[in-house]
Formats: sequence, structure tokens, C-alpha cells
Amino acid sequence: MRNLWLLLQRNAFFLAFAGLLVLSLMVLVQNDGSARSSWFRATGGVAALVEDQQQQWANYLRLAEQNSDLAAQNAELREQLLSMRTSSEWQTDPDLGWKVKKGWLVKAPDGQPRSMALGTPGANGDIRIQSGVLAFGSAFGSVVDLGQEHVRILPLLNTAGTWSCRLGQNGAVAPLTWDGRDPNRFSLNDVPRYAQFQAGDTVFTSGYDLKFPEGISVGTVIEEGPASGSEFKTVYVAPLLDLTSVRHIEFIRNISDSERTVLAQPLPAP
Amino acid sequence: MNGLRLVLLVALQALFLGEVAPFGEWSRPQWALWALLMLPPQLGPFTKLLAGFGMGLGLDIALGSYGHHMVAGTVLGGALPTIHSLFSPRDGYEVTNKPTVRDLGTRWVIGVTLSAALLYHLALVLVDTWHAHLLGAAIWPALTSAVWTTFCCLLMHLLVIPPGRKNSSL
Repeated sequence: MRNLWLLLQRNAFFLAFAGLLVLSLMVLVQNDGSARSSWFRATGGVAALVEDQQQQWANYLRLAEQNSDLAAQNAELREQLLSMRTSSEWQTDPDLGWKVKKGWLVKAPDGQPRSMALGTPGANGDIRIQSGVLAFGSAFGSVVDLGQEHVRILPLLNTAGTWSCRLGQNGAVAPLTWDGRDPNRFSLNDVPRYAQFQAGDTVFTSGYDLKFPEGISVGTVIEEGPASGSEFKTVYVAPLLDLTSVRHIEFIRNISDSERTVLAQPLPAP
Repeated sequence: MNGLRLVLLVALQALFLGEVAPFGEWSRPQWALWALLMLPPQLGPFTKLLAGFGMGLGLDIALGSYGHHMVAGTVLGGALPTIHSLFSPRDGYEVTNKPTVRDLGTRWVIGVTLSAALLYHLALVLVDTWHAHLLGAAIWPALTSAVWTTFCCLLMHLLVIPPGRKNSSL
């Protein structure tokens, strides 16, 4: 205490000077608008700086807790992924009348014109030929060949496929094909000349090929291509996803698949 | 006597002398500084500090400039002991020394007055302007005003305490 008193005594002049200066500045800040705004701006900046630093420290101190949370989330996601892979049950959507089963690709299409995709499960998982295949809710292809554990999938990214699509939710129906060149450019051929659309419009499945329900998104309109004949035109479409990097897929099948397939067969010639 | 001088100069500056600015803002004098600089250099630092603060307070009350002159006066009052010690003679100040040309010489008077005026005007322009981006334009008038204040203080010296006279009327 005595030392403190001695220290104060030794610096009495400086303390008195500082006190009077603070008093003067207080009077100034209280009565001068410009000084007050400048003061508030300066103190606001300092306060923000202090708060920011405080936040950084708090974040640093919470790092262990955040790491623990992230590890728990990671474990949960891994568990979900594992259950997704091992799930072997068809799940029915009664509203749509379609059944869905999760699967994954063993081999994705590589962008070559005739490249196929390989998926799993196969016949053992009750997968059938002509089942539609979705990826991230978008059309990916259809099953064309069956093994016990694997299936061969004809992807959209193959020149052999033709997919019935619709321009917009209620627009014209036309077949979608790929010419084997640019993986980001499909062609919607034989679109009637009266069809109205603009770049960015979504192209959906029509459901007429019986592989997909109607209204599954396929891509978006890029631009109008050259006319094919006097009554039709071509529309270029960009796929919604990178078909060469798909990993998780969904097989879909209509609940009345067998009946539809039989009834859809052409009538025998009389 | 010193107190009376301070009050008188503050009143004179507020009423008449503050307008003696032939070049407008480039020559804004602070006559009251002369009263502060007439304090004997042997006085204690607290007295000088309080005198500076008091002068600023008086000017603020008289001129209606709340706080501006208080800040500048406090800065000058706090720095005055240092200025006096910087310009002190080799053997220090004698007890009978007064801050006049006759006692301490022209060089001392001009040096102390100019230093004090510069400090006061710079502090004043700082609190008048506040914003850094405006300071550049305001600093030159402050410097020329400090020179003008020095000139005015020297004029006061010559008028009130001529070099040959022992005692002043103020």
C-alpha cells in the first residue's frame, strides 16, 4: 500500500495532467457533435476489434468440443452410408405407385459413346430388366442386363439410348438422345415447331417409356438447335448432373410393372 | 497578479482581440497565451498545469467553444514545465527571473512563445478538426496562426513590458 502511495506521489503530475485532459475531452465529446461521432466511431472500431479477438479466442477454446461434435457427425454419416449400402428392401411409394430400392454403381459411364454402367445389387436384389435408374432424383438410365449380384445399366450417356421426355411439366413430348460427343449436351429431337420454351426450362421424363414415372427431371434447355424437317426442330439439353461421377443410385419399378409390360406389347399381326 | 492577467486577457480575447486576424483563418491569434507565458518559469508544474487548464476553461466559457480550449490549454499547461526546462539558462532560473526580454533575453522569449503557440494551435486544430482526412488541410493555417500568435505575444511584451522597464503595469 505504501509503495502504491509512493508510486502515485511520484507520478502525481502526470496523473493530474491525465485527469484534467480526460475531463476536458469529456466536456468536448459531450458538447461537440463532430468530436462525439469521431469518438463513437473510434470506440466502436476498438470494441469490434476486441469482440472479434474474443470470438477468436472462444472459438479456439471450443476447438476440442467442435472436433468431438464433428467426429460424432462423421460417425453418424458413416453409419448412414453403411446402412444405405446394405439396405436391400424395396420401399413403396403408394401415391406414385412406384417402388424404390437403393443401390450403387460399380462402374460409371466414362463418356465414351457406347459405354455402359455397372450397378449392384442384381437379380438377387430383385432387380428386373427395364427398371429405371435414378441418381440424386434425376434420370440416369435403365437396367438392360442382369447378373446375380450386378446389373448392366444403359445410361443416358450412351448413343444407343432413346428416352421419352417432356419440355416442361406440360410441354411437348420428344425423344432425348446423345450424339456421343459432348457429355453436357443432349438432343431432344423431333420437337414440334409449335412447342414454346426458353433456355433454362427443365426437361422431365414423360413416363411413356414405362421405365420412369413422369416428372423426373432430366436436364435443362440450353438452346434451340437446327430444324429437323419443316415441322420439327431440335432442342439441346444439358444434364442436371455429371453422369460420369455418380456413385449412389436408386432402382425404380412400377407396382404394376408386370401388367404394364404385358399390355404394352404390340398386338400380334392378325 | 498572474490570475488577474489571465482573466483580463481571456476577456479581451473573447471581446475584442480575437477578431484581430488580418489573413482570416491563416492568422487566428490566441492572445490569452501571453498571460500564461507570463507565469514565472520557477513556478511549480502543478500551478502551470492548472493555469493552462483554467485559461482554456475561461476561453471556452467566454467563446462558447465547449472543451476545445480546455484540451489545448491542458496540453500546453502540462507541457509548459518541459518547455521551460528546455529553454532554461545553463545555471537554471534565478528566483527573481521574470519571463521577459529584459530578464531572459529575446531568444528565450521567442523560443518559448513560438513553442507554446505551436503546441497550443496544433492541439486546438486537432480537437477542432477531429477527422484525420481533414487534418492535412487544417494544419497549415494552424502553423501560420501559431506564428501570428507569437508575433502578437511579442507585441504585447513590447507594449506592456518594454525591454528597458523593470515593472509592468499588468
